[in-house]
Amino acid sequence: MSATTAPPPAPAPAPQTQAPRIGGWIGAATSTDHKRIGLNMAACSFVFFLAGGAFALLMRTQLAQPNMQFVSDDTYNQLFTMHGSTMIYLFVTPMAIALAMYLVPLQIGASAVAAPRFALAGFWTWLSGGLVMQSGWLVGDGAGRAGWFSYTPLSNGTNTPGVGQDLWTIGVILAATGMTVMAGCITATIARRRAPGMSLLRMPVFTWTELVSMLMVVGSFPVLILAMALLYLDRHGGHIYSGFNGSIDYQDLFWFFGHPVVYVMFFPYLGAAAEAIATSSRKRWFGYVPFVGSIMMFAALSMAVWSHHMFTTGGVTNQYFAFTSTLLVVPAGIEYFDAVATMIGGSLVLRASMLFGIAFFVQFLIGGLSGIFIASPVLDYHAEDSYIIVAHFHYTLFAGSVFGFFAGVYHWFPKVTGAHLREGLGKLHLALLMIGTNVTFFPMFFLGEYGMSRRISRYSTHPGWGTTNLIETIGAGVIALAILAFLANVAVSLRRRIPAGEDPWEGHTLEWATSSPPPAYNFVRPLPPIHSYAPLLDLRHEAEDRAREAAGGGVGA
Amino acid sequence: MRGGAIPLVAWGTILLVLYIVHAIWNGRTVPTIATGFAVLAIYGFGACVWILGRDTLRRGPPAARSEAEAWPSASLGAVMAGLSFACILFGVVWSNFLVYFGGAMLLLSLGRLGVEVRSEYASKRHAQEEMSGR
Repeated sequence: MSATTAPPPAPAPAPQTQAPRIGGWIGAATSTDHKRIGLNMAACSFVFFLAGGAFALLMRTQLAQPNMQFVSDDTYNQLFTMHGSTMIYLFVTPMAIALAMYLVPLQIGASAVAAPRFALAGFWTWLSGGLVMQSGWLVGDGAGRAGWFSYTPLSNGTNTPGVGQDLWTIGVILAATGMTVMAGCITATIARRRAPGMSLLRMPVFTWTELVSMLMVVGSFPVLILAMALLYLDRHGGHIYSGFNGSIDYQDLFWFFGHPVVYVMFFPYLGAAAEAIATSSRKRWFGYVPFVGSIMMFAALSMAVWSHHMFTTGGVTNQYFAFTSTLLVVPAGIEYFDAVATMIGGSLVLRASMLFGIAFFVQFLIGGLSGIFIASPVLDYHAEDSYIIVAHFHYTLFAGSVFGFFAGVYHWFPKVTGAHLREGLGKLHLALLMIGTNVTFFPMFFLGEYGMSRRISRYSTHPGWGTTNLIETIGAGVIALAILAFLANVAVSLRRRIPAGEDPWEGHTLEWATSSPPPAYNFVRPLPPIHSYAPLLDLRHEAEDRAREAAGGGVGA
Repeated sequence: MRGGAIPLVAWGTILLVLYIVHAIWNGRTVPTIATGFAVLAIYGFGACVWILGRDTLRRGPPAARSEAEAWPSASLGAVMAGLSFACILFGVVWSNFLVYFGGAMLLLSLGRLGVEVRSEYASKRHAQEEMSGR
């Protein structure tokens, strides 16, 4: 395809020549513009989110009452496997990468992503992986059905025969490969393509969260690819994970990926919520350096806690992993302190993005606090494989990502489309999502305490089980309504556009210093001087100081 | 030791410290080979960052660059490469034909990428000549 030349971002960009751009579907599919790749990935992963949500609704319908026969046991196994796999490999993690692909070059003042062809190839590899994984629904023996973790020996060729599980395994390899390549491109962009003046400690909070996430992807996803490649060989007569030690080896490999990915699914949304909160508080993010240190500590610890998922196997050193898991409280506490301190003394504007940001911290708190208890092996033995664990990880993975994601959507939608989302519909969306989330997931703590195990498709009558499950199913329906409200909001906002302008929120970071949506190569005008992680806020403060001086008040008067 | 390698060194050091703390506290160690490999891999990655790109280590903000850069606006080769890799793995499950087809497509895509990169270099040279002539 044609090549174009563009200067790097600089205070005064030199003229650039551009080849004619290809429009239509082919242009969108082959574009190496980081914004187009990011949008394509976001759109595809949102479609996967809708599919994963539909699987969840089918599961919740099956569990609504004792002894339901809505789906067969085998179909239920496929549903919970594909629900988890779709959400983790095809929605939450790739959406974090899509946000980084679109926003990080803009936030650091870069004209393009590093190695754009690799990024594009990574996107298509990831998408192919998603489609291969979902294609399991079309084969005779159904889709993957050994859980999103596919422990051995459950997932070996004897216990889970059939092509569907093979397609799942190959799908995971492809999706993880694509995401690793894209994460490498984003990391390289941050390392090599920052604008003049943008030192590491002047990068926006969101960019830092993405950098740390992408480092975790690059560090841990190759282990998943290896584990899955060996699993494929094991399923076809390789006997790689045989015996007790083989199963423990598989779990070690899997969870070495599986725990860092929890933070890959959290940090970018934390960053999005932080940007929304700081902008809507009209204050810079409080405690920037400790925050950066805390997410780096989080990332480092994420590689040292994986076996807390394996406490009850008897094959790991529980004390060590309980110690490192409990240490996670320290960086998490710093992040919460920073969020609250940013809002204290700010001029809060309670728009939808801000409310989603606050909701993100409130909802994740429940997941985080319950995590402290199950980081203790003694309590984990009690809670293992019960609905307490399901409640905990949905409060961390669903509440800890989706609320932050929507905070980001409401914050950056005007930048991406040039149009505002409707605030009223946004607040309705938030209310429904809050109600739905808590009605669905909070009762699961009780259900676990009543003794209900995970991954069972039917249950006989037990005191409290039927009613609690019914409440959860109703809650899942409310979440679906919330998503419909969001889709309606997007449709209405794009159809009857309310122009947003370049900087509708008085943003702090460089993406607000260009048009909405941004042009090819991002910045046409010279970039503002970068003296901190909130350069546009600095500009505004300087202008206010000058105005005060001109009025005779003097700086700081 | 500055800039981009610092997070990696910090990361490796935290692992090492945790290992030592645990050994003292518990009287026995977690698997030494696995931990040692993890620490060395992270330190090694930091060393690679240091060796490959001094820019990533330089203290302070990046300096302005004045030379022209070439960027592709679209790449059919990259799309084909991604799809052909997927085709090969899909073929591993379904049939050898798809493996061969994917392999052929991968070769074609590499050729296409070569053409694209050449065009990019030519474009860059042209822009540099224009800039120096101005």
